[in-house]
Amino acid sequence: MEATKKNSWLTENRRSAIAAYLFISPFFILFAIFGLFPMLFSFYLSFFRWDGLDPMTFNGLDNFRFIFSDPIFYSSIQNTFIIGLLGTLPQIVVSLLIAFALNSSLIRFRNTFRTLIFLPYITSIVAVAIIFGLVFNNQPFGFANYILSLFDGGPIRWAAEYWPVKFAIATMVFWRWVGYNTIIFLAGMQSIPRELYEAAKIDGASIGQQLRLITLPMLKRIVMFVVFTATIGSLQLFTEPLIFLGRGLREEGITVVAYLWRDAFVYNTFGTASAAAIVLFVIIITLTAINLALSNLIGRSKRRVS
Amino acid sequence: MSKLFKFVSFMLLAMLFLTACNGGSDDSAAADDEENGEDPETTTETIGDGEIELVFWEFGNTGYDRLIEEYVEENPNITINLQNSDMNDVHDNLFTSVSAGSGAPDIAMVEEAQIERYRNAEDAFNNLYDLGAESVVDNYLDWVFQNGESADGDFLFGLPTDIGPTVMFYRTDVFEEAGFDSSPEAVSELIETWEDYEAVAREINDETGKLMTDAGELVFNARRDQATQQYFDEDDELIIDEHPQIREAYDYVANLFEDELVGDIPLWTPEWFAGMEEGTYATMLAPAWMQGQIKDNSPEEGIWSITTMPEGAGNWGGSYLTVPEESEHPEEAYAFIEWLTAPEQQLEAFLGYGLFPSSPQVYEMPEFMDYEDDYFGGIATAQVFSEAAQQVIPVYKGRLYYPVDEELKQAIDNMSAGDDPDDEWEAALQRIEGILRR
Repeated sequence: MEATKKNSWLTENRRSAIAAYLFISPFFILFAIFGLFPMLFSFYLSFFRWDGLDPMTFNGLDNFRFIFSDPIFYSSIQNTFIIGLLGTLPQIVVSLLIAFALNSSLIRFRNTFRTLIFLPYITSIVAVAIIFGLVFNNQPFGFANYILSLFDGGPIRWAAEYWPVKFAIATMVFWRWVGYNTIIFLAGMQSIPRELYEAAKIDGASIGQQLRLITLPMLKRIVMFVVFTATIGSLQLFTEPLIFLGRGLREEGITVVAYLWRDAFVYNTFGTASAAAIVLFVIIITLTAINLALSNLIGRSKRRVS
Repeated sequence: MSKLFKFVSFMLLAMLFLTACNGGSDDSAAADDEENGEDPETTTETIGDGEIELVFWEFGNTGYDRLIEEYVEENPNITINLQNSDMNDVHDNLFTSVSAGSGAPDIAMVEEAQIERYRNAEDAFNNLYDLGAESVVDNYLDWVFQNGESADGDFLFGLPTDIGPTVMFYRTDVFEEAGFDSSPEAVSELIETWEDYEAVAREINDETGKLMTDAGELVFNARRDQATQQYFDEDDELIIDEHPQIREAYDYVANLFEDELVGDIPLWTPEWFAGMEEGTYATMLAPAWMQGQIKDNSPEEGIWSITTMPEGAGNWGGSYLTVPEESEHPEEAYAFIEWLTAPEQQLEAFLGYGLFPSSPQVYEMPEFMDYEDDYFGGIATAQVFSEAAQQVIPVYKGRLYYPVDEELKQAIDNMSAGDDPDDEWEAALQRIEGILRR
């Protein structure tokens, strides 16, 4: 009796549901520990004053009041967006073109180029710091300043002036991520049937027309994915400004994540760091929502056409 | 053909990884300063094969691995796992472990100014007095030892390893080119005050076109370290505005920049290290532990020499060895650090890597007094340093010492590019107030 009752509860459906939940549980368990808990904890922390050692003291909205009265925080938001735009927009266009070139049959040694374009992504960040430190050096002997001097341009203090700092960091972002996006575009392009191109060629379409009328429409989802990840990635930009500017993180180049990192680990004020993290969280959520709405719109219009 | 290219790209990859591994090995000396936050490399070395393993976090070029080999030979039950990282990383990681209550090593090296960050965390460290440090109090200079204690003197965080008395390193070739006698005595007499320093800077610049130093920051540091009070008083109140010494240091550097007598190369950058060999400037005002860097970067003997700093020495850097509470073997860890910071071992650390002893007993040792460094033209460097060490006046630094220092360095950097020193000073003060208000 007992056994049959148990069996009647553990139907075939339930059994496979449990198995399925078990299979996906590792992600949720790990996410709860390393994702959800820290997130909730930083919400909690943002209402406290805490130096990491002494007991926390509740101080209401003071942390938010502080960061919203701090001009450097506004600079950090502004920097994040400017560097994000400078770094990702050209990057997406260029990686699309490179992927198209690598996918076409006109180029020799394609595999070699595919490997090489991905190299920056896996290069040690220490090496990147040294190389870019020499290229964008404040001194007249820096590489970028040397090139400028050939055109009679005065030496620029790359690590200190308003636009040059952003340009230098955006270049690092561009250099490091262009290969990654190229590979993703390339994967998407390889799933486009060759017949489409062949038919287009027979109809006399130029390469530009092929790119515009076949590749781009067929890649819509991939492009959306790349824009999505690049947006979030650029809002979370941290390593590049830190290695380029050092722990001082000048106002001209500090990003939101660098700002909150500095609050937490250099100044040991975890409350204001958490408050800044919450603000960033809200910004990312908003942008993601806009992104989603836009991509839904595009998806719907596509269905209507077909 | 494509196989060849694959091979080439593989080799490129391998090279990149190799450079990545080497990145951390030539890091700066015992009390490395800011700007190296980018270096995520840690080198780990396990020495000995005893049952008790002690994890030891250190930074800089200490040369402790050789001393540890001696130690494990005498104590076969001990193994020491020596992990060397960038200075800021060691302190950040230690702070995180202390805050979280797990992850700390058995022994952690803490820099002199950074020890303030851990003052409130007595329960995260072993009180070395409980482990027997009472008996070695006399081994160390009083002021150095007291900085490792809590305010009431009941709790001892760490045993001091070395100190950083500041001296003037100078290039004999540049001094000679400018027509000066380049012996340490003559240079010491020539540059007794900061006014002399500026006058000589002008003369060298007129004669040779060379700079007095390539990093104006170091001139500021030198005068900062001579100040009897720096950024905070003992109650952690910011005093740089009412207290003139730091402002004087700042104005002095501003003046040198204005007359283009010093350069603005940032410390710890590849170009700064490379400059040590170039001979484009005359002096470097720096602590004892900088000599390892100079020797590594400018290998030719007899070019660099050492003399006293104008208007007396200060102290920049030096470290302590602490035993975090989490350690499962506090007695063994303590026994090891007591050995490592004992006078005999401090002597070896000085002879090997120029770590200046925190133990005055070493100053009396004949090997120390008679040590003549061929690199620095065969002069008795130890005597120059100990003369400097005796002039050091201990200064309270405060928990936010480095963040405040960083903002002033930014101001100095801006004025080196021609910005108005007064405006930059005000802007730095505002940023500092922002930090304190958090």
